[in-house]
Amino acid sequence: MASSDDVPDSTDWLSTPLSGFAAVEAALRCQVCKDLYKTPMITSCCHTFCSICIRRALSNDGKCPMCRATEQELKLRSNWSMEETVEAFSKARAAALSLARSHQDGARSSRSPKRKAAEGAAEAHEPKRLRTSARLSRNRGGPSVPVTPSEEVEEQVVPDSNNDEEDGDYVPDAPNGLVPCPLCNRRMKEWQVFGHLESCPGPSAAASPLNNPTTTDTTPSFAQSHRKQQKTLERLPPLNYSMLKEQALRKKMSDLGISNQGPRILLEKRHREWLTLWNANCDAAVPKKRSELLHDLDTWERTQGGRAPTMGRVAQTAAVIKDKDFDGAAWAARHDSSFRDLIASARRSRQEAAKKTEEVDEASEASAGRNPDSVVIASSQPPEEKPTTTDDPSDQHGEGRPDTAPGLEPVLDPSHAEPMSWQLSQRPIGSAPSAEGASTRMVEADKY
Amino acid sequence: MAQSTAHRRLLQEYRALTNNPPEGITAGPVSEDDLLHWECLIQGPEGTPFEGGVFPAELKFPKDYPLAPPTMKFLADVFHPNVYPSGLVCISILHPPGDDPNHYEHASERWSPIQSVEKILISVMSMLAEPNDESPANVEAAKMWRERRDEYEKTVRDGVLRMLGL
Repeated sequence: MASSDDVPDSTDWLSTPLSGFAAVEAALRCQVCKDLYKTPMITSCCHTFCSICIRRALSNDGKCPMCRATEQELKLRSNWSMEETVEAFSKARAAALSLARSHQDGARSSRSPKRKAAEGAAEAHEPKRLRTSARLSRNRGGPSVPVTPSEEVEEQVVPDSNNDEEDGDYVPDAPNGLVPCPLCNRRMKEWQVFGHLESCPGPSAAASPLNNPTTTDTTPSFAQSHRKQQKTLERLPPLNYSMLKEQALRKKMSDLGISNQGPRILLEKRHREWLTLWNANCDAAVPKKRSELLHDLDTWERTQGGRAPTMGRVAQTAAVIKDKDFDGAAWAARHDSSFRDLIASARRSRQEAAKKTEEVDEASEASAGRNPDSVVIASSQPPEEKPTTTDDPSDQHGEGRPDTAPGLEPVLDPSHAEPMSWQLSQRPIGSAPSAEGASTRMVEADKY
Repeated sequence: MAQSTAHRRLLQEYRALTNNPPEGITAGPVSEDDLLHWECLIQGPEGTPFEGGVFPAELKFPKDYPLAPPTMKFLADVFHPNVYPSGLVCISILHPPGDDPNHYEHASERWSPIQSVEKILISVMSMLAEPNDESPANVEAAKMWRERRDEYEKTVRDGVLRMLGL
């Protein structure tokens, strides 16, 4: 499973001098899956989501997740401009982020990342719509800075980014600080872009390249140019499950080539999921193969469907190990240190056990009825110290049992020593001796 | 192991919360193996009787998260009109839009897939500051809050002190 370090997030920018980019990236992320848009679709209420996210949400409750307006899958339209923006951004992201990070490590290493984030936040003028901007604005009370980050960005980052044509679109690349709108390429101040994006008519309705000669050299969109030739895949119609007999549903599912096993409710869920996967794939610029979709359905089946884990975590892990495509080598490599620890501790406890029996034998022969706690303490210590520790009368202060004065010990019945110390050694170290043990001793003491 | 939508989304949220933690809130999965079970700590909001307290809670996510909301349960005693004596939190953001058991909530306040752990915890913090006595989960607390505010605040403060072991 991927650790959280492998998950890029818009907040990655916050610790860099380009903290304003957190808002840029947040705008390119789907609000449902919080990932960068995959095959973005726009609803009739003008909200954009990944195709699969909005289709799942709609088949769940038929409402736009953002504004809860009633919506139908049929009304969804592709948001190709957003798709290109995301594609270009994700290509430029790694380079831009590492540049921002190295910039921070170098020239301004004397200042804390937090403060830089606060500085950047002061420059964030995005409207509240964005998830991160609300929080950014909270930091606005931070220390005032002589040089605003956006100015620094222009003078220091731009020369580098000109070497890389991917970055060029996303960093202010003109001395006047104007940036092109990612959709229509109209140039405007950076902070205006977000307000403008809300109402941007997109590339089709935007000013034609003739009116705006500076933008003609930008790379033409790969997705859009390929789109036209794409033969459209047939979308699957939703079924009215309540009108369908179980047999008919099973038949339909086997016609679709998906499993028709399981109880009715699972059949419906599976069919709905397949529809979502399939129809979302029809929207994609580069549709996946059928086999990949079947694999996705299988993943769904294992995580949420009929084969979803209903047992505890230990049992789950056991099931994973028993799985036929279980990667034993990887598992061994991943848990190598745990295995080593286990082996080491097993060896150690065996040695200790051996030593203990030896010592107990010794003890029963030599000195009977010595303080049983000392055996416990001794077993947790290196062997060479044992003889001294076991005879150390200071042990008795620890447990504070007034009935066992050192003077009484040698006269106790030797036969008690072995079973008692055995019993006690199974208790956690330092725990009080059982009442039973104590009372036995008292009886012994009284007897004397 | 194949990653479900819920897992990916929760990893993403965890990442965002680590990078940019909201004030007074800490949250994360209990273990990397089970991302559907989170633990979080919420600071009592300033200027309320909960001030100074740190309240541990657990979040349990359904397998079809984010289509369905998680449940949230305080692990310490929280005397509050919207918290069941068991610790279960009852606020509108944690209720799916479909059913409205209390018949008062606006659909716009309820769960939607665009909500997040962060928004839930922020809502819970503001719930601590401003209880909603229209749907009391703890009737006694709600009555006290409405009729004997002083006593309510004292009870809460005592609870906070007890929790801190003072």
